[in-house]
Amino acid sequence: MATTALPQARSYRRAAAYDWITTVDHKKIGIMYVISSFFFFLVGGVLALVIRTELAAPGLQFVSEQTYNSIFGLHAVNMIFLFVMPMLTGLGNYIVPLQVGAADMAFPRVNALSLWVFLAGGLLIESSFLFGGAPVGWTMYAPLSTHVPETGVNLLVLGLIMTGISSILGSINFLVTIFRLRAPGMSLLRMPMFCWTQLVTSVLLLFSIPVVTAGLIMIFIDRNYGGGFFEPALGGNPILWQHVFWFFGHPEVYILILPAFGIVSEIIPVFSRKPLFGYKAFVVATASIGALGFTVWAHHMFTTGAVYLPFFAFFTFLIAVPTGVKFFNWLATMWGGKLTFDTPMLYACGFIALFLIGGLDGAFLAVVPFDFMVQDTYWVVSHIHYVLVAGSVFAIMAALFYWFPKMTGRKLDERLGKVQFWVLFIGTNLAFFPQHLLGLDGMIRRIADYSANAGWSELNFLSSVGAFVIAFAILIFLWNVFSTLRSPANAPDDPWDANTLEWATTSPPPVYNFDHLPPIRSERPVFDLKHPGTGHAPAAASLAVTEGPVQ
Amino acid sequence: MTTPVDGITAGHGSETDSGHGAKGMDIALMGMLLFIASEIMFFAALFGVYFNVRSSAAVWPPEGTEFVSWQGSGLFGLGLSVLITIILVSSSFTMQWATDQIRKGNRTGMNRGLAVTLGLGILFLCLMMTEYYLYVTVDDFGVNSGVYGSLFYVMTGFHGAHVLGGIIGIAVVLARGMRGQFSSEHHVAVEAVHYYWHFVDVVWVFLFLTIYVLR
Amino acid sequence: MRVIHAARAATRYLSWIGLATLAALVLSACATRGNDHPTSPGTPALLPGQVVTEQGRQAADLYLPIFLLAVAIFILVEGLLIIVAVRFRRKRGDDALPGQRHGNNVLEVLWTAIPALVVGILFVVSTGVLLKVDAIAPNPAVTVDVTGFQWQWTFDYHDQGLSFTGAGKDGPEMVVPVHETIDIRLHSDDVIHSFYVPQFFRKLDVVPGRINEFQVNVEQEGTYGGQCAEFCGLSHSDMYFTVRAVDRATFDQWVIDEQAKAAQTPAPPPSGAPAAATISLSASNNLAFDQATLTAPADQPLTIKFANMDPANPHNVSIKGALADGKDWIGLPITKPGQDAVYEAPALKAGVYTYYCSVHANMTGTLTVQ
Repeated sequence: MATTALPQARSYRRAAAYDWITTVDHKKIGIMYVISSFFFFLVGGVLALVIRTELAAPGLQFVSEQTYNSIFGLHAVNMIFLFVMPMLTGLGNYIVPLQVGAADMAFPRVNALSLWVFLAGGLLIESSFLFGGAPVGWTMYAPLSTHVPETGVNLLVLGLIMTGISSILGSINFLVTIFRLRAPGMSLLRMPMFCWTQLVTSVLLLFSIPVVTAGLIMIFIDRNYGGGFFEPALGGNPILWQHVFWFFGHPEVYILILPAFGIVSEIIPVFSRKPLFGYKAFVVATASIGALGFTVWAHHMFTTGAVYLPFFAFFTFLIAVPTGVKFFNWLATMWGGKLTFDTPMLYACGFIALFLIGGLDGAFLAVVPFDFMVQDTYWVVSHIHYVLVAGSVFAIMAALFYWFPKMTGRKLDERLGKVQFWVLFIGTNLAFFPQHLLGLDGMIRRIADYSANAGWSELNFLSSVGAFVIAFAILIFLWNVFSTLRSPANAPDDPWDANTLEWATTSPPPVYNFDHLPPIRSERPVFDLKHPGTGHAPAAASLAVTEGPVQ
Repeated sequence: MTTPVDGITAGHGSETDSGHGAKGMDIALMGMLLFIASEIMFFAALFGVYFNVRSSAAVWPPEGTEFVSWQGSGLFGLGLSVLITIILVSSSFTMQWATDQIRKGNRTGMNRGLAVTLGLGILFLCLMMTEYYLYVTVDDFGVNSGVYGSLFYVMTGFHGAHVLGGIIGIAVVLARGMRGQFSSEHHVAVEAVHYYWHFVDVVWVFLFLTIYVLR
Repeated sequence: MRVIHAARAATRYLSWIGLATLAALVLSACATRGNDHPTSPGTPALLPGQVVTEQGRQAADLYLPIFLLAVAIFILVEGLLIIVAVRFRRKRGDDALPGQRHGNNVLEVLWTAIPALVVGILFVVSTGVLLKVDAIAPNPAVTVDVTGFQWQWTFDYHDQGLSFTGAGKDGPEMVVPVHETIDIRLHSDDVIHSFYVPQFFRKLDVVPGRINEFQVNVEQEGTYGGQCAEFCGLSHSDMYFTVRAVDRATFDQWVIDEQAKAAQTPAPPPSGAPAAATISLSASNNLAFDQATLTAPADQPLTIKFANMDPANPHNVSIKGALADGKDWIGLPITKPGQDAVYEAPALKAGVYTYYCSVHANMTGTLTVQ
């Protein structure tokens, strides 16, 4: 099933820069998302290193309180809105059309618009540093966020509105692509799990981003036009901001993790040489997490004294169940398989091993009387970072190693990849595990400094060392990428012996993606082609092979 | 752009219309409906805030804001808001009629219907802005007049922005219609704009009932 | 070839380090406690530290069973992962496909129902404890109205006619009797703060436009540190307070002593000491003092009358290098918008000093002392 890459007609050739800037090709747009989000990851990472350097020992040594208070917020904004979301969007952009057997996304020009609006919003957000910073946290609680004079907050708000618009447009694109552009034979229940998670993520974005956009507009009006939404003296209510924000903010965390679940669900079957165990259960679990994600928002507000606690505690507990179902299904996929531990698989297994800790942390937090103790402490910081670093970042690394050959025609170096994995594994645990203890001991978050005789110095130092170990792992990754890109682009169509349609075309694919598509009779069309008669694939004789030898 | 699969042509992305595979909704129409869904959530957030503030306020609406009501010194003892509601609801009927015309292949009828809708929409916006002007100058009621003022202007103001978007959409399809585009088979843009216009109208009805009637 | 062997060895070595680190970190969590800072009288561990209230104890008692459950789940899942990784590793040259099982409905039902049951039980148990922790009993023994504002606390004992305000490293002290119901009501003057005492195992937000209330019965005498736990701006990390729990008799005596102190007129300055020189200073807008330069006589204590006429920002007056050890003198309290304060600064040697606002580092002026 080798795809012939047709040479471009002379009239079509354009200068590379012009081509990339004006492209509407989902593959180029995907790559631009991946590269720019990685740049923002580095910015967020440097900010994290500043935070951890300051907190390594008690006393304010390196930055002023004012600067610190802008840095922790911008760290989170960079990581959440400018790294994880666009990275997952970029990977989805590249892979989803290929996995459903389409030639591009449903609305290629809107796709390009999404990218450029995201970049503009990102630049606006980063520019807040030049205008006093934004010392309000990524959660921008009112009335602090409506009172502080720094212009940077206005830029942050406007920038987030722009990135939100980018996400809404992107979601519409993904949903229409998935619903209407699947190749014949690919029913929804034969769609790769990565596409399913992108589907549910897009629904979450579609319904939650408009809500936070409304809230951001209200913040902007309170700040700049004397509005009274969150101002008690004018009849407003600060808690309202929290409701509006977290109604978005909780689905947001599922937006950050569901595609990661999808990535893990792609990789484990390939490297176990078995189908995903319980595909339908995965679909139901993903949809349940999406739906339940809209019912739990006020668990971020347990200590406000203004929410009906049992309702939100109940649903928070409940949402652990579908996540657990996924874990057991992943393990069952590996059970009885024949496992190889290339770097993507290492990261997928690392995800399972460590996201578990973040998930268990969350279960603790659902216990309201316990939340009363650890809300706004480093316990929460530890939870957040286990699910986002050991969760999303590990999955992103897995995805980058897995799909790098498809995107660039070169496989990243395996030895460097394995070394990087273990360094990142060590660094993640070193940085974030001690934070459980700190939080349980009462160390609150968002503080530039802590008392020297609180007994927190050693664990903070350990955590800071871990942060630098993580940074070292990222440097290894960057070295791997740069040296690999200098090597010849000779990766085969299917370097991992994988299952889904993106591996049925060249690495990288031609502009139009596919010359031929294999018949689609299950969620593993490429696997079926290679192993006729196994699993879902009908015996070879009943396949209408139209032309060319089977790969 | 077709991709052969076992000799069968796959669903195509772009032809004269946005793409209509063997069965199923045109992708541009689906895109518009999803966009409308996100806009519904935007207004839902605003309504949520309104009802939340209203339910916990000791006095609502606040003292001195009686001028925001459906009764008033407008036409026949009814406020300006009633007039503009009638105008906008009528425009939905004319929009629907225009769409029905082009579904039957009557482009001239469609153009007329679109033109009337456009006029009504512009009239709505002008009258809305007149209402704002009166409130600000006569009643000293602005976005900084407490949370009630903030809510009033943000809710009706963003609705107005959406009306403007709809007006632009209508103007574009009208211009295309006047240039001879659209037929009974191919008029996705008109369908999309008409859905959007109905959405804008429905939101206004809820705004009118909530802010001016229920209060 | 040697490089490849070395890389493989390094990877194996690193993987053991990784797993060992994780294990060590988990085990280290069972450290013993033994520190003495008020907010954290012990070494942090994976078990809660000292908890001194009845409500807090009920909440903290939930922790151990849930923790053990979490450890069990952790061991189960990680164990399965390790078993699978070892047992089902692909052997070199083995290209045959393993059995291609797609799923098992019985397993799906089991591993949905059992976790659902577990979380259901956790929910019921934790809600029971929540009702006790959040209960408001009538007729508390002592009611304290706490007001949080950037970046200080005020404790008002209205029934006793006492009020304490403080900021900075130790903040004001709230004295309460043990074994009695203390009712704490929270008010905010500006932004959202949070009243957090780790040894009460409790925090509750301090929200403008709202009065939050909770009760505690302190079971142990002692001094407990507290801190604002909701990011509230510049000096959020410095917004401390303490709670001191004493027996009833000591509490009653403390009330009497504090009432007497409040009623006293200030003592006249001892004769022979230099009379204080008075400087007046104000700030109105643009985050700047209205006076860019001031003068003061040398070797005389200074009384600084400061009027904060800024409608939106808190300010104070501090002087760089004014203390004997070369450290800055910080004027307390930090005034709220529209508030005035009278600061007593120490006598200064002749020279040129910079005065500034602790809140806004660029808000400075020059003080010439001669």
